[in-house]
Amino acid sequence: MANGRSGAWLRRLLGGPCPFPYPGSRVVAAPLAFGYTPDNKEDTVVGFLLAGVGNVDLRRKRNYLIVDSKTTVKAIEDAFKDFTTREDIAIVLINQYIANMIRYRVDSYNQPVPAILEIPSKDHPYDPTQDSVLSRVRYLFSAESIASSRY
Amino acid sequence: MENCEQSSPRAREEEEDEAKRGGGEGGGEEDEKIIQFLDSMDSYLTLMDSLSSTLRQGWLELASARHSMGSSRISSALLSHKVQSAATTMQVAESNDKSVTELQTHFTLSKWAYLREGKYSGEAEAGGFQNKSSGSQLRHRGPNNFAEGCKESYSTINGSPIASDGNIQRERSKSLSVFGTLVPPKLRAAQVSFETALDSIVELANMRSMVLSSLSQLQQEMESSS
Repeated sequence: MANGRSGAWLRRLLGGPCPFPYPGSRVVAAPLAFGYTPDNKEDTVVGFLLAGVGNVDLRRKRNYLIVDSKTTVKAIEDAFKDFTTREDIAIVLINQYIANMIRYRVDSYNQPVPAILEIPSKDHPYDPTQDSVLSRVRYLFSAESIASSRY
Repeated sequence: MENCEQSSPRAREEEEDEAKRGGGEGGGEEDEKIIQFLDSMDSYLTLMDSLSSTLRQGWLELASARHSMGSSRISSALLSHKVQSAATTMQVAESNDKSVTELQTHFTLSKWAYLREGKYSGEAEAGGFQNKSSGSQLRHRGPNNFAEGCKESYSTINGSPIASDGNIQRERSKSLSVFGTLVPPKLRAAQVSFETALDSIVELANMRSMVLSSLSQLQQEMESSS
């Protein structure tokens, strides 16, 4: 590798041990979607709304979605499609746990704006091997290794 | 026949030497792109770790606030469904420079910069504001009712709306007031933690744009060399 730092990120990309313990809780994104937990619900939604990102427009449409046990995958897909096509949204935060439910949608999204960021939750820590951005990088390296093995 | 067979490996070696010499300069540029790509990847992962740490702190503070106030006092059921504009918004700059093969976007956070009718250097459009500069378009991503707004004086720096300290404190209190007039210090601390998380998120978004741009350049290099 070109420099020492790249070795560290490569280990993380390939699924090295996570240095941070995660007590476990829930998942949030903004426009927000988060997963279900029996206690301490909605912390990440509440937290980001406290930071001032919440918006309700004239049609009473919110810029966040709370995902619970009754939320269907189709509802999450529809919300994802809605948030990624709205003109007034710059960044979509989605909990990685929720993103895995609609992984094909998230991975096939390739627009620069709004940017899709997969964030951790209390219950599900961030896994770099599942991140859509890093998955593209891994694909590049695997394709490169296949190409080099031919010579 | 034997002479031809002996000369072809030599010819191949000569061709390889010429290719190495000619590709020396191109190889340097490629190495630079690879290093840039790897650095951006490392920064992306480091920022994600930082965000995880900040979020964890915010969750702990929220849990402490919920412990002191009660579970029913801090829940999504209290969230207002009235029409309201986001106090924290984002500005997006997209590079239209034709020399850059991959479109790169740059995000800028405007915390507590509640856009109201005031002084702006850009022109208003439906859904946001645009500030056209050479080779780039600055768009403000915010709710549509920004353009309608109230009558409160405001100021800008390079087209970015900023709020005075008094406005910031008022907007913070407004967000906290959803959970009651008197809130514990832990809830205020949680608010600050999630504001810090927003800073990390914006950096992550910019780093993501850089990673994807570098990745695209590398892919083009690989395709052109193969």
